[in-house]
Amino acid sequence: MLIDKETCIGCEDCHPYCTVGAISSVEWESGNVSEIDQAECVECGACFKRSGVCPVDAIYMPKLEWPRSLREPFSNPDVKHPSTTGQGRGTEEMKTNEVTGRYTYGMAGVAIEMGRPGVGTSFHDIQTVCMGLAKLGVEFEPNNPLMELMVDKTTGKINPEVLNEKVLSAIIEFKISSDRLKEALIAVREVSTQIDTVFSLDLISRVDSDGTMPNLAIAEEAGFTPRPNTKTNVGLGRPLFKEA
Amino acid sequence: MTHTLHRRGKTEDLQEDFVLLIRISRGINQEGSEEKMQQIWEVISHYEKDLVNFGNHNPNWGDGELYDMEALKKASSRIIHVVFKDRDKLKACLKEIKERDFGISVVVSGLYEETKKICSEIGLAPHTVNNSLGIHGNVDRLPGEDVLEIHTMCGHAMVSSNLIQHMVNKIDEGGITCKGAAKKLTRMCDCGIFNTYRAEKLLSRMTSNKPS
Ligand code: SF4
Ligand code: SF4
Repeated sequence: MLIDKETCIGCEDCHPYCTVGAISSVEWESGNVSEIDQAECVECGACFKRSGVCPVDAIYMPKLEWPRSLREPFSNPDVKHPSTTGQGRGTEEMKTNEVTGRYTYGMAGVAIEMGRPGVGTSFHDIQTVCMGLAKLGVEFEPNNPLMELMVDKTTGKINPEVLNEKVLSAIIEFKISSDRLKEALIAVREVSTQIDTVFSLDLISRVDSDGTMPNLAIAEEAGFTPRPNTKTNVGLGRPLFKEA
Repeated sequence: MTHTLHRRGKTEDLQEDFVLLIRISRGINQEGSEEKMQQIWEVISHYEKDLVNFGNHNPNWGDGELYDMEALKKASSRIIHVVFKDRDKLKACLKEIKERDFGISVVVSGLYEETKKICSEIGLAPHTVNNSLGIHGNVDRLPGEDVLEIHTMCGHAMVSSNLIQHMVNKIDEGGITCKGAAKKLTRMCDCGIFNTYRAEKLLSRMTSNKPS
């Protein structure tokens, strides 16, 4: 995103809308105008049409060239990933699990929401986490848009052309059998000390017929405390996936 | 997308924050789903006065007003988001959706203990659960917990921490009401998942000046 300095009147109304605090005032010819730090801007669009905040339409979106162009679909929820069809910027994860059977008994789904909440992430940090997990031989979700950027699924290496790009969020999704979940979560904890950003962590479980979720006790053993609020699929989708 | 999972706050606050997410599964039950989704909107419209927010992931640049329910009943929705502050209203809506047997997946986002109770009261059982294991990494970069509580109500992070603080300052100066500020914040969230009602209450706690 850019600000046309000739048009900007320096009112600073756009500053608080920036999701990553990338807009600041600079001196320009006769007075102050605003400028967007291009290294920090994640192209989320919040300052532009979404807020409609600029009184003089000084904010504009130039045509983004590769690799900067990938910032937008990872940051602006209105922009689809070129690699996915339909609504999706990510996957359906557990929202349709009774139909897709993506997560079955004895499995755990883990999602690492890099950059969330509200900090943003570089692909360097994303690579650090992916490489930490790849060592364990986890099964990365193939339909996740991040996978197109992962050049080696066995090492977790990301395309070097994009490593310096910054985005608002990117979700690393993988599945693992429950008996290896503790090991994976400990690896997540270890790698969390090696990055400069935050992530929100998700654990997906098929509920057993007695109503329990053994994955939760495993998570606690690994030092994580599940929050009281969840997302719960109540099983109304059809046709039902037939589990063995 | 896990944009409703990481809502923060104490259990008593989360008692007023439930989201229904209804979505088709691509390539599995997508065919013929447009009409079913319109019928689901029709069911939801029976609860319109009880809804805090709603949407189908289309841009919401209507100055913080709720979506136009009549338009949604005719729209092509692949996903439906509805925010309730009252678990009994959510229960009634979910029960009606269950009885109509649309065959479309439904997720309840909110307190798990309450969700389980709601399910058992209407003859459902949790099938798959996504648990939040919290926020990790360089957590020194996070804003204060009060700001975070509002910020995480738009999981896509469109409601920036700075904007929340800016609104708190404006309320303190008497420039806007808590209700007005909550409406301005909700306008940034396209999915209709931001709990405007709860945001107003939280803003009111964060300010010294509380104009009505
Ligand atoms: S596009 Fe997003 S990150 Fe860039 S300046 Fe605007 S609000 Fe900030
Ligand atoms: S809102 Fe527009 S005029 Fe005001 S500082 Fe931002 S870019 Fe400049």
